[in-house]
Amino acid sequence: MFGGQAVNGASPLLRRVGRRSLVGLLVVLLGSLVLPALASADGEGDDLAIRAIVKDQQRDANGKADNQPVEGVEFVVSDESGVEVARATTDAKGVALLPLPGRAVYTVQLLEDSLPDGLSLGDSTSASVAVDANEFVTSTKALNFFTGASQSAEQTFGERLAQRIMDGIRLGLVLAMCAVGLSLIFGTTGLTNFAHGEIVTFGGLATFVFNITGLTFLGFLSFLPGVTEQGTFHILWAAPIGVVLGGLFGWALNAGIFSRLRRRGIGLVTQMVLTVGLSILLRNFFLSRFGGRTRPYREYTLQQAIEIGPVSITPRDLVVSLLSLVILVSVALGLRYTRLGKATRAVSDNADLASATGIDSERVIRLVWILGGALAAIGGVFRGLDEQASFDMGSRLLFLMFAGITLGGLGSAFGALVGSFVVGIMVEVASLVVPTELKATPALLVLILVLLFRPQGILGKAQRVG
Amino acid sequence: MDWSLIIENSIKGLVGINAVYFAVAAIGMNVQYGYTGLLNFGQAGFMACGAYGLGMTAHYFDISMWWGIPLGIVFSVLLGLLMGIPTLRLRADYLAIVTIAAAEIIRLVVRSVRFKTYFGGSDGINNFSEPFRKVGTDLGIQQSAEYGFRPLEFTGRELWTLVVGWIVVAVFGFLVYKLMKSPWGRVLKAIREDEDAVRSLGKSVYSYKMQSLILGGVIGTFSGMIFALDRGSVQPDNYSRDVTFYVLTALVLGGVAKVTGSIVGPMLFWGLFTFVDNFMRQVAEDPIKVGNFTLLQSTQVGQLNYMLIGLALILLMVFRPQGLVGNRKEMAFDGR
Repeated sequence: MFGGQAVNGASPLLRRVGRRSLVGLLVVLLGSLVLPALASADGEGDDLAIRAIVKDQQRDANGKADNQPVEGVEFVVSDESGVEVARATTDAKGVALLPLPGRAVYTVQLLEDSLPDGLSLGDSTSASVAVDANEFVTSTKALNFFTGASQSAEQTFGERLAQRIMDGIRLGLVLAMCAVGLSLIFGTTGLTNFAHGEIVTFGGLATFVFNITGLTFLGFLSFLPGVTEQGTFHILWAAPIGVVLGGLFGWALNAGIFSRLRRRGIGLVTQMVLTVGLSILLRNFFLSRFGGRTRPYREYTLQQAIEIGPVSITPRDLVVSLLSLVILVSVALGLRYTRLGKATRAVSDNADLASATGIDSERVIRLVWILGGALAAIGGVFRGLDEQASFDMGSRLLFLMFAGITLGGLGSAFGALVGSFVVGIMVEVASLVVPTELKATPALLVLILVLLFRPQGILGKAQRVG
Repeated sequence: MDWSLIIENSIKGLVGINAVYFAVAAIGMNVQYGYTGLLNFGQAGFMACGAYGLGMTAHYFDISMWWGIPLGIVFSVLLGLLMGIPTLRLRADYLAIVTIAAAEIIRLVVRSVRFKTYFGGSDGINNFSEPFRKVGTDLGIQQSAEYGFRPLEFTGRELWTLVVGWIVVAVFGFLVYKLMKSPWGRVLKAIREDEDAVRSLGKSVYSYKMQSLILGGVIGTFSGMIFALDRGSVQPDNYSRDVTFYVLTALVLGGVAKVTGSIVGPMLFWGLFTFVDNFMRQVAEDPIKVGNFTLLQSTQVGQLNYMLIGLALILLMVFRPQGLVGNRKEMAFDGR
């Protein structure tokens, strides 16, 4: 997605620069706006090199795979005619940097004599690897070499399945949190909001700003515990602030754009295309201010996982999951039993009838945007804790959210909860069978199958949706 | 500020290869969105079909590049069926959701390591466009020679792609123009305005929508082919969902439900984009600061441009959803 964006937009000026320097330029462009030092380093990255990494496959005390770097392993790179062009030895991090003289085909040879005593290459690792530098996308290519027996295969299928289901529940909870707003907004206004992912990102990044970047003018609050003079806040402060801002953001989107469009009677398709524009605008704004990297929050980053039966989970993820569960159950109960919840469902069901019974549907819609924004922001914060914050953390979830709410029944809040949960588990479990990079594919399959056989979703009412 | 360079580049942007492949893609999207009211947010997926059809001839099948054209068309018809069968009986937004998802999955599959044998993984496919170049050389266009006059100067390599590209634009433009004047086209427009009325006349709305989706997709496939031939390579990340959105913006800018709109729009889009891009790059040579806060530095120009595209799409939808040359009455449908 990074490369895609800029390459499609490459102006004639850029195209003349040529592909290699274009790549360098792109790295600078998209890489690090906030850290200029890093940007200039990337800009000079036209020197081709191979990063050979040697690791010994071990397990830590908890029996999890924990690969250790191997120092002092020698590498030789030779070109097609067998002439040596580079030679290097791995450092304490197990990394050897092998500069290449140009784009050609090379052979990278690990000298097995240089391996420390007692270590030998793993079964699936070959000592000699052919590399075509013409196919490098960036200027360096990483090659991994493993010693010792593979440790990952020792888990039984049952253990892996249990772990995947656990991960799936975590993903499902976050998805559900993000998707409730999307579904409620759809239910009450009929709008499919393609910018909903950006509200998720907004929550995650707003929290990041308060947690890491810091707002110096808030330094006077440093008498509070967890607040520094630079205006950075402990995550327990920053997260609620981010959530409140997410709610405000939802309110602002409705008040600033969508309520006006509704008043002017602008068609839903037009509004939908508008949300696409909004998504492009916001995502690139996040990219320009935050940069293309993913970055963690300050607190609770490294934690020792605790074992519960066959699965392991960090205390952070456990707390996040339980918290999500509490929030989602309260939302569901609120929708079921409170006056506002009933009003929301009434507007979803039939806005005209709801108005006729004296429900102020604009007020309900406003509250739905606020609630949806806040819930999406919570989802963003939790996702940020789990997978770090990035400019597209939300938009990458959008498609899974759609799959979830379609499965549950478009417009039904309970459906969104159940559907997202199922999609989350399925996507994670599917990665046992399909490669991780393709684990989102089953979600598309579900989407298509649901639309074919039960377009109203699991919990939707059977009605004509055509 | 070097105005002559900015103006020159912008004029080249108006007619350059980016405008060409956007125009072809927009002509296709116009059939779906403008004439039939279908929201296809997966045009990038159709473009990938064309590009990978060409690329796979060299990378996997080892047959002549020209087989890539029918291959790409077959791919895109299959994709159209995959997207259309579950959704076209349902409300408009289901199609939007499924198309956006399918296009994204295509991108994930072609860049995956698992299917590298077929699609070349994240590095994509190179070295397949030689037969196309050879036709140009045979017709007497020297690849490296300069042709044209200021500011429209192109190398023979660029010129050949441009000539072929604009011919494709003209052919599809004419085809769509004629089709929309035909009874078939009138049914499409009627579906956009009132599906139930069309159904009551005994027409199969589903079948017409499917034909429209596939026709637009196949035209989009040719856009992907032109782009791949120009670059001489196929890269998975060139077919991200943002491409679809930019094509949509270009289409709406020009004018919806008008063939002229779908050609003028991409030209204007790239002319303006190049202008703003060049202008902002010169402005931002020194970082613009307000106090300690860096408002804009040169590395942020790229994102700023894309932000402006998003903003342009928002403003267009609010104030002129029919685009420059479109007819407002034709964009009054609401897809429910």
